[in-house]
Amino acid sequence: MLTDIAWGVIVIMLPLTGGIICFIWPAISKTLGLITVVGTALSVTGLGWQIIESGPYHHTVGGWGAPLGIDLFADGLSLLMLIMTALVGLGVSFYSKSYFKPQEATWFWPIWLILLGALNALFLSADIFNLYVILELIGLAAVALTALTGHIAALNSAMRYLLAMLLGSLAYLLGVALLYHDVGSVDIATLAEKIKPNATVWAALGFMSAGLALKSALFPLNFWLPPAHANAPAPVSALLSALVVKASFYILLRLWSEIFGSFGEGAAALLGLLGAAAILWGSLQALCQTRVKLLIAYSTVAQVGYLFLAFPLALGSNGMVWGIVAYLALSHALAKSAMFLVAGNLLRFSGHDRISGLEGTVQRLPLTVSAFALAGISIIGLPPSSGFIGKWLLIEVAVTQGRWDLAAIMIIGGLLAAAYVFKVLGQTFSDAKVSHDTGTVPASMEWAALLLAIGAILFGFIAPEILSLAHIDVSPSTNGITP
Amino acid sequence: MEAITLLKWTFDTVLGLGLLWLAWRALTSTDLFQAIILFVSFGLLMTLAWVRLDAPDIALAEAAIGAGLTGALLLSTLARLQTAEVENTLPQSVQPSSKPQLVHWLLIIIIPLLLAGLGYAILDLPPYFEGLSGAVAANLDASGANNPVTAVLLNFRGYDTMLEIIVLLMALLGAWSLGGMPPYTDKPAGAVLDTFSRFLVPVFILVGAYLLWIGTSAPGGAFQAGSVLGAAAVLLILSDWRLRPTFIQRTLKLALISGSSAFITIGLLTTLYEGQLLAYPATYAGILILFLESLATISIGVTLGALFLREPVKYMESQ
Amino acid sequence: MNNAFLFALVGVGIFSLGLYALIMHDHLLRKILAVNIMGSGVFLVLVALAKRTGDALPDPVPHAMVLTGIVVAVSATALALILLLKVFAKSGQATLPDRCKE
Repeated sequence: MLTDIAWGVIVIMLPLTGGIICFIWPAISKTLGLITVVGTALSVTGLGWQIIESGPYHHTVGGWGAPLGIDLFADGLSLLMLIMTALVGLGVSFYSKSYFKPQEATWFWPIWLILLGALNALFLSADIFNLYVILELIGLAAVALTALTGHIAALNSAMRYLLAMLLGSLAYLLGVALLYHDVGSVDIATLAEKIKPNATVWAALGFMSAGLALKSALFPLNFWLPPAHANAPAPVSALLSALVVKASFYILLRLWSEIFGSFGEGAAALLGLLGAAAILWGSLQALCQTRVKLLIAYSTVAQVGYLFLAFPLALGSNGMVWGIVAYLALSHALAKSAMFLVAGNLLRFSGHDRISGLEGTVQRLPLTVSAFALAGISIIGLPPSSGFIGKWLLIEVAVTQGRWDLAAIMIIGGLLAAAYVFKVLGQTFSDAKVSHDTGTVPASMEWAALLLAIGAILFGFIAPEILSLAHIDVSPSTNGITP
Repeated sequence: MEAITLLKWTFDTVLGLGLLWLAWRALTSTDLFQAIILFVSFGLLMTLAWVRLDAPDIALAEAAIGAGLTGALLLSTLARLQTAEVENTLPQSVQPSSKPQLVHWLLIIIIPLLLAGLGYAILDLPPYFEGLSGAVAANLDASGANNPVTAVLLNFRGYDTMLEIIVLLMALLGAWSLGGMPPYTDKPAGAVLDTFSRFLVPVFILVGAYLLWIGTSAPGGAFQAGSVLGAAAVLLILSDWRLRPTFIQRTLKLALISGSSAFITIGLLTTLYEGQLLAYPATYAGILILFLESLATISIGVTLGALFLREPVKYMESQ
Repeated sequence: MNNAFLFALVGVGIFSLGLYALIMHDHLLRKILAVNIMGSGVFLVLVALAKRTGDALPDPVPHAMVLTGIVVAVSATALALILLLKVFAKSGQATLPDRCKE
């Protein structure tokens, strides 16, 4: 009975509906928002059960089927991303319940719920033009949330963010146009089947990858990310770093694992090179920051770099590397959202987020500091965290392929991450010289951060299960993988 | 015959060059007002290009939205920038770019390379290509619309349209979360504009209804009709037409969400009864499409108009 | 052979001009104009190439995509303009500050 329900449709439509009702009826938005997020998470569970029981989820919207209509499709990889969205969404929603002032909450809830629906729609879509519309929806929602406080720094960052998003979308759309006119379809499976490398496909590959790399803040196209993520309200920063950046990365992953993977060797090497540069540059920048939120934002630039190392490694790894990278993305989402929520707590507590002013925080906010420590362990990649497993597996793949250079960079990235995490942690443990002008942090805000950080650790223990989930395969067209 | 072909080629070449020239002038003009006017002219010339490409639906939408409403939005933004700039004595026209010379030269090198690559990629395409037009034609009878573009928009790819209406709603949510368009009441609207709008608004509404009705079988439809309604709303707002606050809180909000709610409701009902999101039962396809289009028209028109308003709470405070 | 390729090439040209202006200009209103012009270029490519159907009617699917794209573009433009007005109201500048000074 329960397996007959179109869970894939519900995980998209439920949050969209909730968002629209919140807009009409702001008085109930907080309660309705929480109910919607919980309901969506339960529907993701339903969908997951369906996928585990009976293989990849398929839904032909309108009943036409690709290439004329639009298909929804979810395999293990999509499921992993949906789980990531549901978990981070739950944590951030319970945090936001106490975080926002009424005027901000009026707009936060409808925009966030529609963003949630759009993210789910993105992870379920099998149509590259449909993905363009969803990308624009996500982009506008993310920009609106960034600007929510109305401070000048937030407004400037939101404006820069919006322009970067629009440029990225247009480059992507140009690629979609070229692919459609070459192959006659915008359905990913049909494209994968029919595509033959020629000049048009190469141009499409270039423009789509560049547009999506800009949206995922791949070095050196990361100029918009640190100000946007540092100046947004803390729960919004968590959503942006954990989920929104992953959305465009996921499209890139899909395109490469299904369409471009078999012939884009040179371009894959370039993406990997930029990923490696991002690890080094982002980590060093993070180390130089004096504000907690900027440090965490630059850490995102570095961690996104790890994800991009998958492209050069994918060719020789039978597609296994995509599962590892999805796992790593999930791990990063949990840890990074926890870190931004911690930063929000510190801001609320001391009125600023300067690292030098954090002495003695550990006595006052033990849960918050523990959350930062646990999330830090996963970001550094220390056992037994999920960050450790993900990075370890990725290093293993690199070593078996003789890519010692990439393995070395991943290890250096881990050491630098240790340095910037301890830079913050060390301050919180040192004795307070001056007494702080303290605000109170509601318990739900401390617990939300801590639970997400614990999640980042716990996922390390169920890594084999998660990874086998990621390999619930997959359209037969996927390169090199035999189900 | 020869002569006509030659004439068409000449016309298209001149049109193409004209588009490039207007785009360049709009982007480089030293005066912002002039730049916007050139941009609107560019949009109007695009309309001609759409007609030459046998895309009358897009020509209508471009004239109304691309040139018309976008132009109106740009001009009202500029007006608000300039009234403030007089006080701040900031230069309103363009200052020399602060970008380093290096960036300039890099672009001068990279963009022609991109252009050459793209041009080659396009010329590499086969000269004859059917795309999905065969599949659309084969299923047109079952779609509930006679105009193939409407069939694609409201049926084959109706899911895109649902999301797109939510994108429009999201823009409004974002705009209102920032307080909406600040008021611009330098001087009250003149008597001419007032009379003008009294006369034009009913005409716009009639034209909108006609476009919506004709849309299922001929060029036209929800977007074009919605944007004509939006233009009517903008005219009302510009001529200082006051809205009652309760109207904004209740009726306006309901109108704003009518399109997206209709799509979501029909989507859920079809999922429940037909097993597929937005799969219309064959006998009701025509009527459902008309229903969705009508509500989409209302919400597109109202949303485009509401983008020129202040956010409701601020609006009520200002009354 | 018809005007499909001619207009597609014009579209690519318009896209490139817009890209140059988007990066070079400082004034935000000009950047927003540039994004719109780039968008028109992409739409032109999408629709022009749909006319490679010989004497038959052009492929309607790209037409529908562009109609969707036009509404998405005006949405994004509206949000960008309101954001610009808000930036201007707070800072008195219609440009973004230098990144190094933020």
